[in-house]
Amino acid sequence: MSDKNGNEIIIKIENLVKRFGKLEVLKGVNMEVKRQETIVIIGPSGGGKSTLLRCINKLEHYQDGKIYLDGKDIDEYDINQLRTRIGMVFQQFNLFPHMNVLQNLILAPTKVKKVEEAQAIEKAKYLLNKVGLIDKIDAYPEQLSGGQKQRVAIARALMMDPEIMLFDEPTSALDPELVGEVLDVMKDLANSGMTMLVVTHEMGFAREVADRIVFISGGVIEEEGKPEEILKNPQKQRTREFLRRIL
Amino acid sequence: MEALSELLKSFPFLLIGAWETLKLTAFSVGIGLILGTFIGMGRLSKIKFINYPCTAYVEFLRGTPLLVQISIVYFGLPQLGIQLAPYPAAITALGLNSGAYIAEIVRAGIQSIPKGQYEAARSLGLTHWQSMRYVILPQAFRNILPALGNEFITLTKDSSLASVIGVSELMRAGQFVISRTFQTFSIYFGIAFIYFVMTFVISRLVRYIERRMATA
Repeated sequence: MSDKNGNEIIIKIENLVKRFGKLEVLKGVNMEVKRQETIVIIGPSGGGKSTLLRCINKLEHYQDGKIYLDGKDIDEYDINQLRTRIGMVFQQFNLFPHMNVLQNLILAPTKVKKVEEAQAIEKAKYLLNKVGLIDKIDAYPEQLSGGQKQRVAIARALMMDPEIMLFDEPTSALDPELVGEVLDVMKDLANSGMTMLVVTHEMGFAREVADRIVFISGGVIEEEGKPEEILKNPQKQRTREFLRRIL
Repeated sequence: MEALSELLKSFPFLLIGAWETLKLTAFSVGIGLILGTFIGMGRLSKIKFINYPCTAYVEFLRGTPLLVQISIVYFGLPQLGIQLAPYPAAITALGLNSGAYIAEIVRAGIQSIPKGQYEAARSLGLTHWQSMRYVILPQAFRNILPALGNEFITLTKDSSLASVIGVSELMRAGQFVISRTFQTFSIYFGIAFIYFVMTFVISRLVRYIERRMATA
């Protein structure tokens, strides 16, 4: 599936509706993600940004609409297969506290993909090198700073060779001085051609790295476009208000 | 004086009973742990077909006296054609009973683990069972160790009820000595003392394991 410019569309979201009881969190979201694109999703809290991400890897069930991966409805994939193709990074890191860094990294590849342990360890070392934490390979999560934890969490997700990475406010739980190290890793990842959907309030990152910014508010996409368009010259009143408050 | 000398004389015999009590308890806890882990997980299932029977199981076994449960297994089941010797009957009843209590402990333990742990495991492609096995249960068991120790102690004491169906554990051994010596006070007191030593050692042992796991 490609758009009119010939770029391959990896994810297509059609009229997505998600309700928590009576509360409608997503009210018909339509969106396309091209391969190797980095999309930053911004918007007020409670607007549905995280929920949208969580629907894509089916951590949330949705009531209506469709999500396609490579042109195929995600409901038609085996759910665990689907999830190995979509990596996710959480605000609270969610490293497994009873395992050290290496064990955190090799658990899923060895259990889900049945990769040989030695091979998984090789790969873990390579990725830990990339995120600058090879010296922490034997450390337990509680011995790491927030920034280090999040970099390990990114490496852990990358162990599965995902085609898409979802970042759910990856720096929101970090002390300000630790945000940069995580954003740097994400920048490298974007530059290496990873398809990324990033929910964040880091406008500097959005301006510098995003191919597109999507503004979600009240369960719908209010506005989307190139970073310079959205950040400098937003068309909608709500977007302007939101940006005025956070910039 | 005679009371004391009778107690000392019969002490080795009581110790054999104590050893039987320990074995009985260990087997029952083993069954209870396996049963309780699955039923505890079942209690959290969103599937009614799994959830309801598990809930019913827990409610029924917690809501009826252990003595009645033992009687059902030993005296009641033979009428249905299932005849168990006293020892297996006792292990069965005690195991089923502790399974209910341990299920509640396990359920609380699983619920004490932040939801993000399960979501992270699932988002990596692990199945429900793999997530439980490698991520949730190891953390849950660390948290519930004190409660499990408690249950172990409770069961050690409750196993004395097996005496009514003729299992030669500590209580039964004591009654046997009393029927021979008529030293009710010293022998019952001696039994109590042995139970106390056993539960005290178990509680210390659990605390030791707890501390070792905390530093690991």
